[in-house]
Amino acid sequence: MGRFVVRRLVSMVLVLFAISVMTFLIFQAIPNGDPAQRLAGRTATPETIAAIRRTWGFDRPIYDQYLLTMRNVLTGRVISYTQQVNVERQIADGLPATLSLAIGAAVIWFALGVALGLLGAMRAGGAVDRALTALAMLGVSMPVFLIGALLLYLLAYRMGLFPNGGYVPLSRDPAGWLSHMILPWFTLSALFIGIYSRVLRSSVLDTLGEDYVRTARAKGLSEWRVLIRHVLRNSLIPVVALWGLDFAAVIGGGAILTESVFNLHGVGQYAAQSIGALDVPPVLVIVMLGSFFVVLLSTAMDIVVAVLDPRIKLAS
Amino acid sequence: MWKTARIAGAAALSCAAVGGVAACGSSSSGSTAVKEGGTATVLMGTAPDYLDPQEGYTTQSAEATWISYTPLLTYRHASGSQGTQLIPGLAKALPAVSKDGRTYTLTLRPNLVFSNGKPVRASDFKATIERAIKLNWGGKSFFTNYIEGASAFDSGKSDTISGIQADDATGRITIHLTEPYGAFANVLAFPAAGITPAGTAQRNLSNDPPPGVGPYTIKDVSPNRTFSLVKNPRFAGLNIPDIPTGHLDRIKVDITSNTQSEAEQVLQDQADAFDAGDTLPPSLLPQIESKAQGRFAREPVPSTFYFFMNTRTKPFDNPLARQAVEYALDRRAFVRLASGFLKPECYFLPEGIAGHPTGSCPYGSRDGAPDLAKAKQLVKEAGLDGTPVTVWGETRSPRQQYVEYYTSVLNKIGFKATPKIVSDSVYFPTIGNAASNPQTGFADWIQDFPNPSDFYLLMDARTIQPTNNENFSMVDDPHVQGELTRLNGVPATRLDSVAGDWRSLDEYTAKKAYVAVYGSEEVPKFLSNRIDFGSAVFHPLYLNDWSTWQLKK
Amino acid sequence: MSTDVVIRSTRAPARRTPPLAAGAGPYRLALRRLRRDRVALAFGALFLVIVAACLAAPLYARDVAHTGPNDNHVTDVVRVGGARRDVVSPEGIPIGPTWHGRFLLGADQNGRDIAVRLLYGGRNSLEVGFIATAITMLVATLAGGVAGYRRGASDAVLSRLFDLIWAYPAVLLGVALGTSLALGGLNLGLFTLSGRSLLVPALIIGFVYIPYVARPVRSQVLSLREREFVDAARLQGLGDMRILASEILPNLASTLIVFVPLMLANAILLEAGLSYLGAGIQPPNPSWGTMIGDGIQLLPTALHMTLVPGAMLVLAVLGINVLGDGVRDALDPHAPTRLPH
Repeated sequence: MGRFVVRRLVSMVLVLFAISVMTFLIFQAIPNGDPAQRLAGRTATPETIAAIRRTWGFDRPIYDQYLLTMRNVLTGRVISYTQQVNVERQIADGLPATLSLAIGAAVIWFALGVALGLLGAMRAGGAVDRALTALAMLGVSMPVFLIGALLLYLLAYRMGLFPNGGYVPLSRDPAGWLSHMILPWFTLSALFIGIYSRVLRSSVLDTLGEDYVRTARAKGLSEWRVLIRHVLRNSLIPVVALWGLDFAAVIGGGAILTESVFNLHGVGQYAAQSIGALDVPPVLVIVMLGSFFVVLLSTAMDIVVAVLDPRIKLAS
Repeated sequence: MWKTARIAGAAALSCAAVGGVAACGSSSSGSTAVKEGGTATVLMGTAPDYLDPQEGYTTQSAEATWISYTPLLTYRHASGSQGTQLIPGLAKALPAVSKDGRTYTLTLRPNLVFSNGKPVRASDFKATIERAIKLNWGGKSFFTNYIEGASAFDSGKSDTISGIQADDATGRITIHLTEPYGAFANVLAFPAAGITPAGTAQRNLSNDPPPGVGPYTIKDVSPNRTFSLVKNPRFAGLNIPDIPTGHLDRIKVDITSNTQSEAEQVLQDQADAFDAGDTLPPSLLPQIESKAQGRFAREPVPSTFYFFMNTRTKPFDNPLARQAVEYALDRRAFVRLASGFLKPECYFLPEGIAGHPTGSCPYGSRDGAPDLAKAKQLVKEAGLDGTPVTVWGETRSPRQQYVEYYTSVLNKIGFKATPKIVSDSVYFPTIGNAASNPQTGFADWIQDFPNPSDFYLLMDARTIQPTNNENFSMVDDPHVQGELTRLNGVPATRLDSVAGDWRSLDEYTAKKAYVAVYGSEEVPKFLSNRIDFGSAVFHPLYLNDWSTWQLKK
Repeated sequence: MSTDVVIRSTRAPARRTPPLAAGAGPYRLALRRLRRDRVALAFGALFLVIVAACLAAPLYARDVAHTGPNDNHVTDVVRVGGARRDVVSPEGIPIGPTWHGRFLLGADQNGRDIAVRLLYGGRNSLEVGFIATAITMLVATLAGGVAGYRRGASDAVLSRLFDLIWAYPAVLLGVALGTSLALGGLNLGLFTLSGRSLLVPALIIGFVYIPYVARPVRSQVLSLREREFVDAARLQGLGDMRILASEILPNLASTLIVFVPLMLANAILLEAGLSYLGAGIQPPNPSWGTMIGDGIQLLPTALHMTLVPGAMLVLAVLGINVLGDGVRDALDPHAPTRLPH
């Protein structure tokens, strides 16, 4: 286990390094993307642009610029091109909204996904199962920004049941926080509920065919008891693994569309704005943060799965 | 980003053009009972670029800084054309200009103090200008191009600006220019010339803005989220005439990137103002116009929206091609694309700027049907049928829509046009780069200050440069150059005497069809029921004047 | 991995070994099973109808709507049931569905015919989806197959590459690449693409999804190469590539077939997401995603601008997903009905 974790951590550092280089290069390739020209503003003279290039180090070789930026990233001193503010502080400001969205939605999609999946498995082939299948199919076939926009229109704009986007800190106004978060939670969850319920349903049906379940049944245990004690425990493994990864991705700016539609000012929306403004430093930091969470939680989930399921060994 | 990335402002605006008596900001608040103090919340869709006065260059920034950092000169706090009048700010009087137009002399008012209680000295002015240059303020070329020794200071060849002499004992400030520059008094009124103490850190202080002299102080900044303007208790005691001391205790500005909810909150009185720099969602307009009568108005901003036509590249090097475009544009279409927030126009100098021509358009029509047949015939006559044209535009709505419409028109009259829409943040650097060699595309200009010379910078052959070019049509016309050399030197105080000359120049460039102008922008003044709309000034340069707002009783 | 657009293939609990292909038998059987799945067939047919309609876009534009997808009619007037109405009102609000030949489904803010743009936009969305899927499937099969079969250094390098792309949040990667390439186009020596080309978003989406297919392919090949028939082929002296093509690939086929509709659906959804954020299909080309993006800005007053392309997009993706589900069931009848994950 110890060696497994160490190896994963080493590979994580490599992945983060490669991702930062990749991000840096993607934005270097843009013609007229010279940030000095943008910072200088319209009608700026070539001298002004040259001065800015010198101050910001844009005249240095690219590897030098990369190293400079990375040093600032690691010491928490990286400054954005637009508005020239501390990027890490901006991200820290956006985290409460992103965490609220991620945690709330993750709880909802896990709970509903498991409940509906179990229901579907219990009623496999019946009308309820069919209805759930249809809903799940619809959930995975709708773009998240379309769901979000239509919910906002219907429930917030038309019926006035919810506020029309925005974020209110939990510490300042718990009720306001809740009313602002409900629509984003369900928007982001729709897709996952569809997936999780189907994964759990198939996993439960798989497990029901296993020998130990038959043994448990033969011992005369009640159907619910068999389901909860023996089946669910094993069936949850793939769902838990999925859950960790999705959660990581949402925190790391993966909910960029949901945050943008609901104007949550989270990390994802900051990423979208920064990409639109070709503001490389924030994009770099957010992408690294997202990748960090993805790698970290995938490692953690591998361990969790190995602990839950004795048949799986931690190898490479 | 560039939409409001220029200080919006205006000159002589007639009240009639505003389309509502209330919008004229007359002080007819006699009927409304108002009170002192209280807090108002402004919602802003685009965050100010900086809250540091020596860095800010957008409308959103100026709204906050012009009432927190008073420069030597400033503008009257009034709506319409009155608001374009230069008045003394921290200076005792308007500048004395030498005969050759190259020396400006001003004297600081006595006993001024910053918001932190420290006295203001003449040398603080010099330090302020130096700081703006060091921090690369977006408009710093207004200083470096005209103040003697400023460009040497900028390039590091000198550690002070030799052309500014400040005497702390007498408060006397003398500024020497490299050439006569009529608009220099306007330059001194930029919020970036708003005085901050000498010794203020030479870095971006947007998160914790430095002390200044003004009715308000910027406090509690959380970048991209919120900031507040808190009343400066020391200001009222300074007794500066014509600058209001402020009524509200606090103006809280919340940044929201969803203009839809921004507008709804103001409509429902949950917030007090929709920032005039934002675009009202067209979907809410019908509701606002019916439910918010008496607290909503369209306010014109002297600005020019146009398509440049590169006179050095095919097909627009041919005057017939440019005339064809002028004939073919249906300017009413742009008004619809702008949801009504555009006033159709065909001349480069907009209404509100001295020299604005009011006669009929040389080609095509200001607000009538286009002459497509004539346009097609001209294109054919020039042998340009089927010429490929790339039309450049930026993503921001409705500018992308303008360009898509324009492309469709070009195709209708015989060109083979395709749009090329690039991200807002790189749009102007891209079309301003000689390597792109753009044929035609979107461009706009919102005044820095109410002076025609500010607009004609864009047709000045001297401004053609390989990067960050703004003379997109590549206008290099001896007649234009001759007139500009003469007119640019006339001091701002004598602008009226040459208004006719500016008009002739503008009619000349329109006849040459160097650019295809289609209108000037209008912005919303939209406040909650809590604020007295009548006495709230809508300033032609700095939009909503928060220092004039009062809560109703 | 993204959460707004999710592909879940790698994380499936692989407890069941894939069925062995013995000639055409299993596929014929699968086809027979699929034919009995009426729901899947109906949705498959729905998707085909949408594809056919989009292909017929030029006909519709010429003969029914009498306007092209990019023709603006901002100040035009249209006759609806005898009354003359502005295509776009002076406040900028476009006309809703007229249920007539012109502006059947209404206009957008530029006075363009939504129905015409819907069909042309569908062509673009589907084209991007198909090309992206083809790229993903080809590259992933090749790279995953080589990694799994060769093991050792090639596997190490390829697997790290998959990890890299996989760990990069997909929408972020797509938006970053899309924004960058839309501005600059792509220049790879002989191969140059303008930023406006449909191939740019197609390449990006295809690229982003490679690891989601390559990883399961690799692990399946890893186990297949240990099977007796591969040993037998090796003993007969067949080369690696030959074995990959003739022995391994047929056994991978059912997995790959299942992936195709899944990837197609996701590619179309990701394209919509990218276009919504301005990093997908570039103007003047319409796409369902860009149309929805335009529509959302005018949602309350011009609901049709969002609903029309939105409904079309959901129907197309739903058609693919349900058909894909049916195909999976048909290929693996023991598997309970489930979504690919």
